[in-house]
Formats: sequence, C-alpha cells, structure tokens
Amino acid sequence: MNLATIAIKNTRRNLFRTVLTIFGVAVAMLAFLLLRTVLSAWLVGVEYSAKDRLATRHKITFIMTLPKRYVEDVRQVPGVTAVTWFNWFGGKLPGKEDQFFGTMAVDIKSFLDVYDEIYVPPEQKANVLADRRGAIVGASLARQFGWKVGDHITLDGTIFPGQWEFNVDGIYTATKKSIDQSSLYFHWDYLNESLPEIQREQVGWIASKVPDAGQAATVAKRIDTLFEPRDIQTLSMSERAMNTSFLGMISTLLDAMQIVSFVILLIMMLILGNTIAMGVRERTHEYGVLRAIGFMPKHLSAFVVAEATVLGLLGGALGVAIGIPLINQGVGRFMEESFTGLFPYFRVLERDVFIVMGLSVGLAVIAAIIPAYNASKLHVVDALRKFG
Amino acid sequence: MIPVAYNIRSLAVRKATTIATATGIALVVAVLASSQMLSNGIRNTLGKAGQPGRAIVLRKGADTEMSSNLENRMLNLILAAPGVKRDSSGQPRGVGELLVVLALEKPGTSGQMSNVALRGVSDNVFQFRDQVKIVAGRPAKPGSHEVVIGQRLRGQFKGLDIGQKFELKKNLNVETVGVFAGNGSSSESEVWGDVDLVRSAFGRDAMLSSVIVELESPAKFDAFKVAMERDKQLGLQAFPEIQYYEQQSEGTAKLVTWLTGVVVFFFSVGAIIGATITMYAAVAHRKREIGTLRALGFSRTTILFSFLLEAVLLALLGGVTGALASLGMGFVKFSMMNMTSWSEISFSFDPTPGILASAVLLGGMMGVLGGVFPAFRASRVSAVEAMRD
Repeated sequence: MNLATIAIKNTRRNLFRTVLTIFGVAVAMLAFLLLRTVLSAWLVGVEYSAKDRLATRHKITFIMTLPKRYVEDVRQVPGVTAVTWFNWFGGKLPGKEDQFFGTMAVDIKSFLDVYDEIYVPPEQKANVLADRRGAIVGASLARQFGWKVGDHITLDGTIFPGQWEFNVDGIYTATKKSIDQSSLYFHWDYLNESLPEIQREQVGWIASKVPDAGQAATVAKRIDTLFEPRDIQTLSMSERAMNTSFLGMISTLLDAMQIVSFVILLIMMLILGNTIAMGVRERTHEYGVLRAIGFMPKHLSAFVVAEATVLGLLGGALGVAIGIPLINQGVGRFMEESFTGLFPYFRVLERDVFIVMGLSVGLAVIAAIIPAYNASKLHVVDALRKFG
Repeated sequence: MIPVAYNIRSLAVRKATTIATATGIALVVAVLASSQMLSNGIRNTLGKAGQPGRAIVLRKGADTEMSSNLENRMLNLILAAPGVKRDSSGQPRGVGELLVVLALEKPGTSGQMSNVALRGVSDNVFQFRDQVKIVAGRPAKPGSHEVVIGQRLRGQFKGLDIGQKFELKKNLNVETVGVFAGNGSSSESEVWGDVDLVRSAFGRDAMLSSVIVELESPAKFDAFKVAMERDKQLGLQAFPEIQYYEQQSEGTAKLVTWLTGVVVFFFSVGAIIGATITMYAAVAHRKREIGTLRALGFSRTTILFSFLLEAVLLALLGGVTGALASLGMGFVKFSMMNMTSWSEISFSFDPTPGILASAVLLGGMMGVLGGVFPAFRASRVSAVEAMRD
C-alpha cells in the first residue's frame, strides 16, 4: 500500500463528509474561477490591444472634437502607414434605451484597413461601401437584437438629435480578443452630411498605424509636436496605453475583486482544514496504534497531508468541470451581451484553470499543516488511551 | 426543552471547529454587507444630487447632461415657464449649467490621466444649490479664472488643491481657490468654474447642458413638463431631478449588485456546506450524549430543535462578527468611473440598520440550512443503540 492508496482509502471512511467537503471546495473554486474570469475579461482588452496603433484625441478632453483636416496632417507624419477616423455617435435603439452598445461613425474603407483584425465577408464589404446608409454590426450585437444582413434599423441619436436610419449590410467578426463584437459602425460621410454646417468636418479621434510597436512612442510624440503650435493640441498614445489608462480608472473595482477572490480562498481553506482536523481528532486512537507498531511522526503527517491533497484535487477538478461550461455557455454570453463593450471576451482562460488547480492543491496542503503537526506530536500512550 | 446553555457549552468545548466555521460565515456576511453598503453609497451619492420639487431640462433625446446641448436663449424661456418658483424679489429660481469632462494627471503616477467632471456654473449657484457649502478657502470671484472643487477631489489630481493651478486650455491656467461640501452628493466629485470660462475653454459659446429649476411644489411638475415639451421645435425634455439622478446611478449600481450577487451566492453555498460538516461532526461526536438525553425523556422534536438552535447560534456568532467587521469599510473611500459621465467619482460605504440586520439574518439562515440535516440525524438517534456504543 503506498501513500496515495492510503490517502484515497482514508477519504472513504466518512464518505458523506468527504463528498460535502469536495463539494464545498468545488463551489469555492468555481466562485474563484468566475472572479478570475471577470478580471481576465477586463485585462484581456489590454493584453491583446495593439501596440502598433495610435489613437490621437483632443488634449484636454475626450468630449471635444478635432478638425477633420488633422487627419491629413497625421497621414503626412513620418512613420504613419495608414490613418482612419472616428466619431462617437451614441445611438440608442428606440424602446431599448437601457441596452448600451457602441455606435461609431467611421470612414469604413480606411477603418477596415487600419483595424485588419476585423473581418467582414468580401461581398458584404462591397455592399456596405456602396451604400450611403450602410452599417456593419458585430456578431454578438446582431445576435442580441436578432439583426440579419439586409435589415433596416432606426436609431435615436443621443448626441446628434433625431432618428437615424441604417441598413445592416454586413456582420463583422474579430480575429483578436480585444475587439468587441457588439458595436455598430457606419459611414462618417452620412453623419457629416446630415449635420448643421457648424458641426461638420469634425472628428472625435484619429487612429493611425505604425510599422511596429517600437516606433509607437516616437511617432505619437511627433504627432503631438506637430499640433502643439495650433489652436487645438492633441494627445496621442498607443491603443495599449490608452486601454491601460482606462483600467486605471476602474482599478479600485479590480482591487476589490482581487480582495474578494482572496476571501473565497480563505473560506475554502477553513472548510477543508476543518474537515481534516475532525478526521485527525477522530483517528487519535488509531494514530496511537500506528505509532506503537513503528510508524514515525513524519508518516502520520504524510497521511494527513496526502488526504488533504486528494480532497483539494478532487474539489478543484469538480469546480473546473462545472465552471467551464457554466461560464462559457451561460454567464459569459450573458455578460458579453448585457455589459456590451465592457467585456468583449468573457471566457475561461487556460491560464486561470491552471491557477485554480494549483491553488486548490496548494491551499489544501497549507490547510493540513496544523492538523498534520498535531498528529505528529501525539504521545503514543495518550493517543492509545483516547477513543472516539 | 434542553437549556440553551448546553448548546453554548458544546460550542465552547470544540473551540477550533466553532471558530473555523463561524469565521467562514463571518466572511460571507462581511462581503455581503460591504457590497450592499457600497450599492447604497452609490445610490446615495448619485441620488442625493437630486432634490424633490426640482426639475432638470435637457435636450430631447439626450439621456445625460454630458450629451445634452441647449442654446443659451432657452434659459430665459425655461425660467419663464409656469410652475417655476420665484424668490422674494420676483426672480425665478433656476440655473443654466454646462457640464464637460477634463483629463487631469493623478499625483504620484508617471503621467497617468483620469477624467474629472467640470461644471460651468452661474454666479448664483450657491444660492440655488443650497446644500453645497464652502468648507475651505473661498468662493471663486465671478468672471475670474478661479474654480472651486468638491471635497472628494481634493488632492486626488494635480492642480486640485487650494492654491494650485491647472491648464484648461493652451495658455489658460485656472487656480483652485476653495473646497466645497455637498451633503455627500456627486457634486463633491466635480470642479465648478464660471460658466463663461468653461464655455470659452471648451468652445461652447452660448451653450448650456442643462437647466435646473425649483418648482413651486412637486405637484407642479406635470404642468411644467407639458409647457417644456409642447413646442416640438424647441426640442426640450424635462425630468424630476430625483428621477434623473436615480437613472444615472442605475448602470453602476447594477454592475456592483450583479457581480456581488453572484459572489455572495457561491460564498453562501460554501459556508452552508462548512456549517453542515461541522454540525454533522458534532452530532456524530455526541451520539452517546444524545442517547442519554433521549433516555432522560427528551423528545425527538426537542433534540431536533436543540441542534438546530446550536447551528443557528454558531451561524449568528459568525453573522454578528461579519456585520461588525463590515462597519470597518465605512472608513474606505471607493473611487471609480461613473459609467454615465466617464469621469471619476468617489463613493463611500454607507451602512444602514437594515443592511446590517439583513446580513446577520443571512448568517442565521445559513445556520438553519446547514443545521437542518444534522439536526434530523440527531433526532433519529435511538437511545438504546447510542448508549451501547
């Protein structure tokens, strides 16, 4: 009989308690996995965001626009290989005002060049380029509202008053996790031509591509220097830096979730440690016998730690086995659709599964330290005297 | 009835197990209570900005002040509407304001920027928003390049403390001269400057975001709303101020509630399992005791309730500890992004007796759920068999 066999046999002695403990560990690990996934879902936007793409906006505030002619100026900056521009539109679906999704006016042709991780089937792309009121929508958004290619939709403008009509000419998917598939993009020309004279020829922000990530900072500096003497100055940074600063704004929420995920680990250790300690207490007499027939204190400790490891391993595995389908099929879909844009990719990451498995075993061992120590410190005679 | 002292002593004897289980429950209760305190704090902060009997007018279709644009000439038109209260000198009670967002650097970071809400206010703002008081420094001089800041912003950004300056536009520096308190409302996370100063810096000549008026009574709102929205050409929309701010807190509060709801659910299941394990062990340990009690004549029901009571006591111990611990969060300020204005806003954890009571109650419930099966098992112990063991 080796250590593993003994550990497994020991867990069967109070099968009911073992099952409860494994279930308790599984629930805790499931909650931990869910929290990790929320955190990862937020961070994934940063990790996968492009380092070779720059965003240029108004220096003082994102609510003010830049003159359209700045686009041409940025195009001339050495190191810039492609340019496109955006206006935040802020459209809402009538009757569904509480469901937020991103609506942007873009120059679709250059937009698809600069954002080459956005994929629109060639035929749909040709259609949208030829249609003044054409729009492309993300696959997830299309699913949420049941839109199909060829649908006509009307949105209420919150920033630009009135009702705006669009044709869904294409549905895009993303080949990278940082792009959310829940936005609507339409022709900037359509917006521009519909606005009063005074509001025309303005862009919200300019996106430009640089040959490689190493040049991003230099080119960003070049752009800002170019506009320094003008009336309106700019702030340029790589997409990655922009997303990082966005995370800074919600960092307290992220910190709070980190703390909560530590709390759940603590609860798991309490449940597991308690079970192990009870087992040790019940087996005091038996440990006395084992010592009397020649087992050393380290053997007893090893029995206890091995039993805890088995419980942690089974609990962690069960938590992951329930968690992956639950999060990927259920919660993840819900989060992607109801907090659109906030969580472009809400799925369990492989890395988090490894973390969960490692923690459930590691913490089980830690939780077993005190009971294992107690078992090893037993005096043979005292232990033998004790029953039950 | 078996005396409660029996249960208390039983819990005291198995100290380590009792503490471990109660700590588990305490952690769950503390997390639940803290999250409810935060949700409450968010509602308080955003909700307190609204006062009964006041109405806010935005451009039709705009859902926040941020996206609303009104021409300045609307101000007099709105102030002249029926139902607007007038002061002793016959002046209508109302203000036109311009809300914008400004990026400022956080101190102690390498150029990390965050957004702050900047409100362009009229000279009479302190008479109108009478819950707002200057608590340090002095009010800004009308028409000057001076601003006052909400107390929650003080020292949170470069330039936002008395005597410091920041750039509003190229070659346009403004100085912070005062700090105001606003009864815990979201105003305390705003910078206030002269409306003309903000207009010129942000290129919004003769524009406003919103007009806020005080009505003669809350009942006058309907008439006021009709007057505002009758002429479609004006493109105006009126909301009771309280309702407007409640909508603003919806998104943020929803996120917090949803996330913590899921977390608390899983935590509770974990803690209930912990309590169940502990109580089963307690029952198994005391089989002989239970047998003796049965032999003495205590009924099965009495024993059932006694063990259930013990589980609830154990859980309440955790519940009360957790609720008390959560009160410590009252010292923490939680600043995050306001989902509707994309600017930073600071919330506090606001406890109420109701939140604490419901958290303790949840703890007790976990005891009931965790204790019910073990208590059943205890009640089924046969006197004869137990004594023989």
